[in-house]
Amino acid sequence: MTTPVNTPATTPAYGVGIGWRPEIAGVVAGLPGLRFAEVVAESVHPHAPLPDALAALVDRGVAVVPHGVRLNLGGAEPVEAARVTAFAAVAERLRAPLASEHIAFVRAGGVEAGHLLPLPRTREAVAAVAANVRRVQDELAVPLALEPIAALFDWPDDELTEAEFVTAILDATGARLLLDVANVYANARNRGADPLAVLAALPLDRVAYVHVAGGAEHDGVYHDTHTDAVPAEVLALVTELCARHRPPALMLERDGHYPPEADLRAELDAIAAAAGYPAVT
Amino acid sequence: MVLAATGDTWGIPGPTFITGYLVAAALLVVLATLHRTVLLGGGRDAFTAPMGPQQAAYLNGGPRLALYAALAGLRVSGAIGSEAHTGALTTTGPRPLGLTPLDNAVYDAAHRRVRTRDLGADPGVRSALDGLRAGLESAGWALTDGQRGTIRLWGVAALFLVGVGFLRLMAGLQNDRPVAFLVLALIAMVGTAVYLLTRVPVQTRAGRAAVRRLRGEQAHLAPALSPAYATYGAAGAAMGVALFGAASLWALDPAFAAQAEIQRQAAASGYSGSSGCGGGSSSSDSGGGSSCGGGGGCGGGCGG
Repeated sequence: MTTPVNTPATTPAYGVGIGWRPEIAGVVAGLPGLRFAEVVAESVHPHAPLPDALAALVDRGVAVVPHGVRLNLGGAEPVEAARVTAFAAVAERLRAPLASEHIAFVRAGGVEAGHLLPLPRTREAVAAVAANVRRVQDELAVPLALEPIAALFDWPDDELTEAEFVTAILDATGARLLLDVANVYANARNRGADPLAVLAALPLDRVAYVHVAGGAEHDGVYHDTHTDAVPAEVLALVTELCARHRPPALMLERDGHYPPEADLRAELDAIAAAAGYPAVT
Repeated sequence: MVLAATGDTWGIPGPTFITGYLVAAALLVVLATLHRTVLLGGGRDAFTAPMGPQQAAYLNGGPRLALYAALAGLRVSGAIGSEAHTGALTTTGPRPLGLTPLDNAVYDAAHRRVRTRDLGADPGVRSALDGLRAGLESAGWALTDGQRGTIRLWGVAALFLVGVGFLRLMAGLQNDRPVAFLVLALIAMVGTAVYLLTRVPVQTRAGRAAVRRLRGEQAHLAPALSPAYATYGAAGAAMGVALFGAASLWALDPAFAAQAEIQRQAAASGYSGSSGCGGGSSSSDSGGGSSCGGGGGCGGGCGG
């Protein structure tokens, strides 16, 4: 059994946060209790001055975590050194307490998929991802958290369950878990599984932070859209998660179709209430 | 002691005339600058009072940008739209609550299917714009027409000096006297007169400072960030247009902006008023100190 490099006990509780997007920068800036935010790592230039709004957040002590989407940790070939260097530089510029990426591949053989694609859940894939994660960890001065992605389909040669696969990668690297509860909910619901059973199988003590997003149902299938309101079922799952092991931070992930400011603030309040954290609005 | 020689134009020696002329010009520039500085101050309260989107729009881009700001707010509220084939404004929803007089007038005009370009001629809109302007004047953010007329009088005085210098030049040429310094002084004087007559800003320093401060505070509304106008609401959309120009209205709703024939270039860099030099790009603080005149520093040469 590998001991995690970074034990959750050392992480301060940040409470409720939000994904910073330029479109809603004014709303994020106006949240008095905010202590945690996430920014798409590739949207921040590693060397040019930070956008004023981000710099202001960092200066007021908000933990701004870079969230990578292009490192391609699940690629068959080693992660590109230049991308890793830029990723580490962005984390340093943001004075981030940690950084995060996905367990997925986004390009293969030089072809960009434009999406986060799932890996076959095999021992071989665990080893390949772990090797890439270690390459990133070697350059990164802060802990790395890994986010499993929505598995739209299962590969025929899967050897491990999703939870086993994720846990094996975390065990091999000492990385921490970025858990997307909306994703857990969507996967379980669309497969007729119990989301609580999925939670029970995951190493909740290693959760660095949690994504909470909205979705919508179309033709009986629940889509984790990030552009709709957070449904009550996802909030209930947040409460269940926090009853088992409350993560240090939970953040609203909204990527488009932004609602009126009052609605966004109400969603943040609802997440805070579900998690038992103080409201940030 | 210089005595009037018989060859002196008007009986005044050249050096005496040019010295007096330059002193008069310098005095005029100093007084005009002082007068402008005082009038353009705007008063102490004007630097701290809160400014609304339509007020900011008027200061930043004149009546047209104020109209665009009102259109943006009403559009985000879902209150107005435009007809695809005619470009006429229409109402698409009930009158929102908490409207400004200009919003109300624009909404009424939209209900009558007035086109955007004819909004300025609509009596209701006209009177709301006048009211907006009057509010800016009483807040100390804009000069009244009377104040601007007074400022322009210095330009008239400068024109008088141009006239005197011109007559002297004509006489000097007739007398076959050296006129090089006078010509230089005259060119400077013409420049001064043109500046004083045309560069009479609408905004006071306080108004300009308030807009600049707002642009910093509301930087998240810059079109480059693709702001989520639905999130920021009607007031945010109006403020975005006010501070960053019509480009914000195009970003907000390109189809509406195209149909309503919103002028994409409508100012984002200062409004110089109806009698300005045209473009209105006076981005300097325009206290008046940078006048083109000021005398060419031509020592004590001969003139005329």
